[in-house]
Amino acid sequence: MSSYLPAVAEQLLRDIRKVYQETSQIPDDLLLALKFVFGPSALQALDLVDQRSVTCLSSPSGRTAFQVIGGSGRPYTCYTSCHYCPCPAFAFSVLRRNDGLLVTAAHFLSETRGALEPPPFRRAAFGSAATALFLSVRAAERKPVGRLLFSTRKKSSVKPS
Amino acid sequence: MADILALVLKHNSAQTQGLKNFSFTSGTGWNTSPCMIVGERCGIKTSLLFLAAVTAASELGVKVLFLTPTPIQKLPAPLQDSLANLNPDGLKKIKFMYPRSQEELLQDVASLHESACGSAAPPSLLIVDGLERYLGRGRGRARGGAWRQPAGDGWLAVAHISALLVDTAAFLGRKLEERGGAGASCRVLVSFDTERQGHAPGELPAQDPVLSVLDRYFPVRATLDRDRSAAAPGTAGEPGAVWQVYFSGVGVTAGHAPGKGEGPNPGLQWRLAICQNGAMEFSLVSGENQAKQ
Repeated sequence: MSSYLPAVAEQLLRDIRKVYQETSQIPDDLLLALKFVFGPSALQALDLVDQRSVTCLSSPSGRTAFQVIGGSGRPYTCYTSCHYCPCPAFAFSVLRRNDGLLVTAAHFLSETRGALEPPPFRRAAFGSAATALFLSVRAAERKPVGRLLFSTRKKSSVKPS
Repeated sequence: MADILALVLKHNSAQTQGLKNFSFTSGTGWNTSPCMIVGERCGIKTSLLFLAAVTAASELGVKVLFLTPTPIQKLPAPLQDSLANLNPDGLKKIKFMYPRSQEELLQDVASLHESACGSAAPPSLLIVDGLERYLGRGRGRARGGAWRQPAGDGWLAVAHISALLVDTAAFLGRKLEERGGAGASCRVLVSFDTERQGHAPGELPAQDPVLSVLDRYFPVRATLDRDRSAAAPGTAGEPGAVWQVYFSGVGVTAGHAPGKGEGPNPGLQWRLAICQNGAMEFSLVSGENQAKQ
């Protein structure tokens, strides 16, 4: 069962993307399905999206990552191609209890990227310190973006668009 | 990644029939899934990873990045005969890096995207030998035999290393495609030591809680289980030693054309024998033999 649930979740997110591309709406039944599969975390993730708490960061190499300002105000760096978030909820609910799925705002946006127009996240370009971002040292996750960048040896720049 | 392991098995198999189109997985999507080799602590996993690296470099002509905490001073003994059949130029496509700590491994992998900016092609295969050695202290069993749960950020550390490897490979795969390699991808293969627990053949070893996290990121698993029966008297890695290799995971179905009389899932169980000359030889365990075990 545990092997199928992630596949169901991914398919659901793909369905949302497809329907939104065709109708520019996310129908209630898909939102209910999202809530059914992911539980309370679905609403929290969508709330973060609504609050525009998500920034899509890109490096000169073209690699991207999402940075999410969590409910506590802490920034978390999430990868775009796999399910990972350094937040405590992910560590506890997904990794430790291993009894359910957790949708993160980054996960939702990663799967629906390109379908939601205008994209419900900010964009920012990173300079040469992008590696520090992808490294996303867990201690550094608790620092604001600027401190994360300036704490590296290389000079960096953040250009919100 | 399963496609490269399938290639390794085919190239080092005593059998010649029925393996032409062999693959573990159904559909091309699973062929490049990140893969993990799990088994008790021994050098055979390093040899298998090394053989996969050389096979990928020489047979597929792709660049390989081999990460290991221990510098490799000489070819693993079981490979010296196998390598005689492969193109030696393949070794030039393999780059070795020796991160000594979790921080160094994260730094090395996190900076790989920078290599995609230059004129040189990025690696198509990322191999991490001995992933458990990067997971820090505190792993293993507590008194009484129960597995110790990772402490504090331990869960995130395991997930972080795995996710960074998978996300980096996905990015490098897109870059390889942009360079004109239609269908090009970057694969990930890691090895992970776990303790032997006296489990039955075919049963997944251990309930190390770390494995449940690793399974999220490495959906294809190859489990090595040493055959300790009288028919296989050799010690681990020495001539005469025999291993059973089981493949499992999402998308793993095995796909060589089975003959009549074979049981379900042929191709998911292999026998690995260390020959007298030190070479590794694989042989397919038929469905009937699987049923007997």
